[in-house]
Amino acid sequence: MELLSPKSGNRAGYLFVAPYLLHLLLFFGYPLLFAVVLVFNRWDIVTPMEFVGLKNFGRMIHDDLFFRAILNTGLFLVIHIPLQIIVALFFAELLNSKLKGRTFFRTVYFLPVVVSGVVVTILFQQLFAFDTGFINNVLSALGGERVPWLVSPQWAMPSIALMATWKNAGLYVILFLAGLQNIPASLYEVSDIEGAGTWRKWWHITLPMLNPTVVTVVLLSTIGGFSLFIEPYVLTGGGPLNSTLSGLLYIYNQAFYFNHMGYAAALGLCFALIILGVVLLQRRFVETDVY
Amino acid sequence: MMAAHRRNILLALQGACVLLIASCDPAPPVEVMGEGDVVHLTYWCAQNPQERALATQLVETWNAANPDVQVQVQPLPAGQSSEEVLIAAIVAGTTPDLSSNIWPGIISDFIRADGVYPLSSFPDFDSLMMSRVPADLLARFRAPDGIYYQIPWKTNPIMLLYNQQLFREAGIEQLPRTYSEFMAAAARLTRDLDGDGHMDQWAGYRRTHPIWHERRFDYYALYIGASGGKTLFDEGQVRIDTAASTKVFSFFRDVYAHHYFPLTTFQTSPILSGKVATEFTGPWQIGWLDENAPPGFEYGFTPLPVPDDYEGPAYTFGDYKNIVIFSNTRHPEEAWRFAKFLVSREADLQLLETTKQIPVRQGLLTDSLYAGFFARNPKVRPFAEVALYTRGEDGVSSLQEILDAIAQQFEAAAVYRVYSPEEATRRALARIRLIHEWNS
Repeated sequence: MELLSPKSGNRAGYLFVAPYLLHLLLFFGYPLLFAVVLVFNRWDIVTPMEFVGLKNFGRMIHDDLFFRAILNTGLFLVIHIPLQIIVALFFAELLNSKLKGRTFFRTVYFLPVVVSGVVVTILFQQLFAFDTGFINNVLSALGGERVPWLVSPQWAMPSIALMATWKNAGLYVILFLAGLQNIPASLYEVSDIEGAGTWRKWWHITLPMLNPTVVTVVLLSTIGGFSLFIEPYVLTGGGPLNSTLSGLLYIYNQAFYFNHMGYAAALGLCFALIILGVVLLQRRFVETDVY
Repeated sequence: MMAAHRRNILLALQGACVLLIASCDPAPPVEVMGEGDVVHLTYWCAQNPQERALATQLVETWNAANPDVQVQVQPLPAGQSSEEVLIAAIVAGTTPDLSSNIWPGIISDFIRADGVYPLSSFPDFDSLMMSRVPADLLARFRAPDGIYYQIPWKTNPIMLLYNQQLFREAGIEQLPRTYSEFMAAAARLTRDLDGDGHMDQWAGYRRTHPIWHERRFDYYALYIGASGGKTLFDEGQVRIDTAASTKVFSFFRDVYAHHYFPLTTFQTSPILSGKVATEFTGPWQIGWLDENAPPGFEYGFTPLPVPDDYEGPAYTFGDYKNIVIFSNTRHPEEAWRFAKFLVSREADLQLLETTKQIPVRQGLLTDSLYAGFFARNPKVRPFAEVALYTRGEDGVSSLQEILDAIAQQFEAAAVYRVYSPEEATRRALARIRLIHEWNS
């Protein structure tokens, strides 16, 4: 009975949230706080921390490679996001039609999403290999030129964006499919009466009605794109000529190859602020366009 | 009631503090043993099957002969690399008593963390080392404070593995010794077998990813050869032989310009599948080839190529693995006794027999104890011949970052020809100086 009183009810509530709160404090709050402390320190793990004030930020300003990594990530996003939307929307439209074996195709398109990123990356490493890869062997057999997918600074990042699109499209297909199925059929019926063609219906009904889904896909793709790591780590190691060095890969190298924990934390903080800024801008502009 | 409660809390806090301080004690006291007490040591070996088998055999022999000091062998816990695991263990204070899988490039970090025991403080250290390692080679393992923290245990000299059948088919009778000879051989070994206008067989292959450890087996190995055994540092100062470095960059630049090494990724071993004719590798490859090579696969080893104008012994990179005793051991004397056993003549024979890796021991080819092994394993002999002409990495901090600086220039100058070899050397040198200053 005591548990049901308003005061004891609060206590029970606290008890129920305590495990999650503890987990949050231990595995999110503490590392976050520790990272903020690291930002102002020099620490190589093995020796005690040394307070360096804002020196890590000073070093960052002169670090061309970090800015290169940010630009590379930007290039990846510029290729990946539109491609992701177009591909996912195309397949969602197909799956929304009266296609035979729709359930089978939905499963097939979603399959790459659940396969480990490392496995997919190793698979594409073999597909994209310049001298011995499957795609280039086919191109060569057909009399075409070999494409330097991963060995040319111009081609490497677009190739990675292509692979990431293949890997993630299934998830966004599902989101677009849900969006398409939520569009009231009455809108299409009215447009039919008005004599609108397929293209006008798609442009004036489907696309505007899908805008909330587009916003979600853009935001998720952006945040996911900023986390670009496994693909360049396994496929190219950041090369050729640093053309696939992503922000996260650079931070990882600084922290875990070179043990520059303080500097990596400063880079990480700056990177997090950039992501926040880009996402806020996207929300402002994309949502304004939607409504 | 409240006062008692507070007192209990204070006592608990005090106890926790004492435990915390005790757990942070960097130097555990040496345990004094009574007569009849048995000392237990923990020994971490490498994870690969051959070295696990070797460690198990050696520990069984030791335990049978030394009932007062019982050793438990454990393979290094799983991790991305041994170095990461060991650093984590030092920071957490969970290191074993000793380990035999220590890369000399990481020792300086261990020293800075007070993680390793000064071995030269043992009175018989000098005599043991002088009987085993030439003085000039031993000096390379001395820390900047003048102390030795490691025993050079084994080295894996990097040599050129070649497919004898492909060499025969290409009409190459003389093994390439210089850069020019290698280029001439490479031109004959790189072939379009099916006539589609694209090469299907190459002279060699190296992964070109700009990752620090990749360059240890190509640029660095050839640099040591071209410089007559110099490394990147001397007495803690950057001392790069710029002429040798430029020659090595030029060599690889020519190799990639002529497409003698492909820019690709292979699904299976390219040397076994006959896709490439040579490989820069170490003696560990012999055991692997014996197990995996198809019937009739003929191979041999020859020293890495050197610049055309080079004269002198064939130096190369040796991937050393050394023995250390960790500073948190409670039994340094007993650990030292076991470490001496690990580098005894009999243990070195066991190392050769089980792993086909080369102990750092002078007179290896003249000692009758090993004659039978080399008679049965002629392919290991070339590695033993060059073992004392190997150089490892410098024991300086931030070695990974220094090798990364080279990897970046290797990719730019050799693979993509963005800079000239001279410019690549200049840039690498400037970057290495900066890294060294930043971390000193």
